[in-house]
Amino acid sequence: MSPELNQSAPLSAEPAEPKAGQVAVPVWLLVLLFLVLYGGMVYFDRNSGWFSEQVYAPYRNLQEVEAFQPVSGAPGLVQLGLQVYNKPTCVACHQANGKGLSGQFPPLIRTDWVLEPEPGRIIRAVLDGLSGPIQVEGQSYNGAMVPWRESLSDEEIAAVLTYVRQNPEWGNKAPAVKPERVKEVREKTKSHKQSYSPEELLKISPAD
Amino acid sequence: MNYGPLVFLAAFFALASSWCGFVLTPQLQIGRLQQTNTASGAAVTYPVSRPGLARQGLEVYRANGCAYCHSQQVGQSGTAVEIALTDAGTNQAATVAALLSLAKATNDEPAVWTALPALEMARSNSPATNLLSGLPKAFLRGSNPATAKAAVKALDSTSAKAELRIVPFGADLARGWGKRRTVAEDFLFDSPVMPGSQRIGPDLADVGTRLPDVQWQLLHLYAPQLVVKGSAMPPYRFLFEKRAVERGQSPEALVLPGKFAPPSGYEVVPKPAAKALAAYLVSLHPDAPLFDAPMTVASAAAATPTNSPAASEPAATNAAPATAPAK
Repeated sequence: MSPELNQSAPLSAEPAEPKAGQVAVPVWLLVLLFLVLYGGMVYFDRNSGWFSEQVYAPYRNLQEVEAFQPVSGAPGLVQLGLQVYNKPTCVACHQANGKGLSGQFPPLIRTDWVLEPEPGRIIRAVLDGLSGPIQVEGQSYNGAMVPWRESLSDEEIAAVLTYVRQNPEWGNKAPAVKPERVKEVREKTKSHKQSYSPEELLKISPAD
Repeated sequence: MNYGPLVFLAAFFALASSWCGFVLTPQLQIGRLQQTNTASGAAVTYPVSRPGLARQGLEVYRANGCAYCHSQQVGQSGTAVEIALTDAGTNQAATVAALLSLAKATNDEPAVWTALPALEMARSNSPATNLLSGLPKAFLRGSNPATAKAAVKALDSTSAKAELRIVPFGADLARGWGKRRTVAEDFLFDSPVMPGSQRIGPDLADVGTRLPDVQWQLLHLYAPQLVVKGSAMPPYRFLFEKRAVERGQSPEALVLPGKFAPPSGYEVVPKPAAKALAAYLVSLHPDAPLFDAPMTVASAAAATPTNSPAASEPAATNAAPATAPAK
């Protein structure tokens, strides 16, 4: 057995391992690290846009992107209304120009049925449908409008009515219909199970 | 010396942190994207999923490695606002005076405003009829939407009518590769997404707007150098079939001139894969304005119904890209 492999013998010839003394981290380094960290956080806060998927360079937050949004002339309800109108719901019969089809579907332009200041009757017609002979703009129609109670929400009905009543291209200019008003009418007419007839609608006060 | 737990923890930490960075963060960021209404008030739902043939075309695009030479992401360096006059109004002298005061503002704040050629004309005292002809015309370009809105208001207080246009700009847009930057929504219905990284060929993000003709696309796939002089693209003739004409020529046969023409009695017709790829290419036109990529589309106010029947010829959608449904 060679002496090198003798593990039990102490290696006395080696000098002692050097040891690090107990030295505290300098205060200036701690302060510097804190400042660098703080600066990084501030930079992140200002420029990250919090990783929003809607913020792309060179913009740094949602407000900067928002400033560039086109100013639309029409209020939100009218825009939604256009979309609902063309879903296709109304557009199928009353046509994109609102003029209906002569002899089959009545127009939505200039008629008091649409432009009444209080929308009580037209909300009912949209909710539960309207059928039977009706006079619109001096022409008589005898069709059936389907109910939309189940398929359109309060907001959608309010939007589409507002769109129809305020469409400048059609020359319509009547007050907007609020979703709360539609909700109110919907609650009131919950038990009304069939379509309205024009006579029945005329008996109801528009403000009701 | 049992380092097992330590090695396990270190490996776990390394894998977990990269998983958080590459999987979890993007998922939180864009994982829940949905169809939106476009921002212009045009009430168009965007994006609309591609038609079936175009979806098959995505697979062909993938299988043939198109993404290795073509990117599908258009960059944008920023967004500018332009003030355009739409109506000169009844009092043209007042309108010209208002424009001149705007021109003065551009001198005062060159960092905020750039005068467009139309406004330079106002400075050189050319007659008002020249200045106010050919409306709508953009006069000023600026970087600050708030001041632009104020300037539009000032113009509107005269008898004239002005509008604010949101104009994206950048090198890719100057090349005509798109109208706005590509955003994550554009790929909502594509799986896998192939935005590409190399531009050996031109960017294809908006190719459906530039080259909406399916026949052109097929011809280009069969013989790129025939329609684009000096093109570096290899021909994809294996997507076509050269066959003997039986009982009259097929309506799908390519019209090939000169040396590309098949021998007489033969015709070149696209295989289904070529038709699908062409359908996919013309379906690429991400040009609806979105919240994260705002822009003004010409005649955005005259919105057409969203359910307008999809035009059989994509050229028809080219005229009004923002209001046409994505195909």
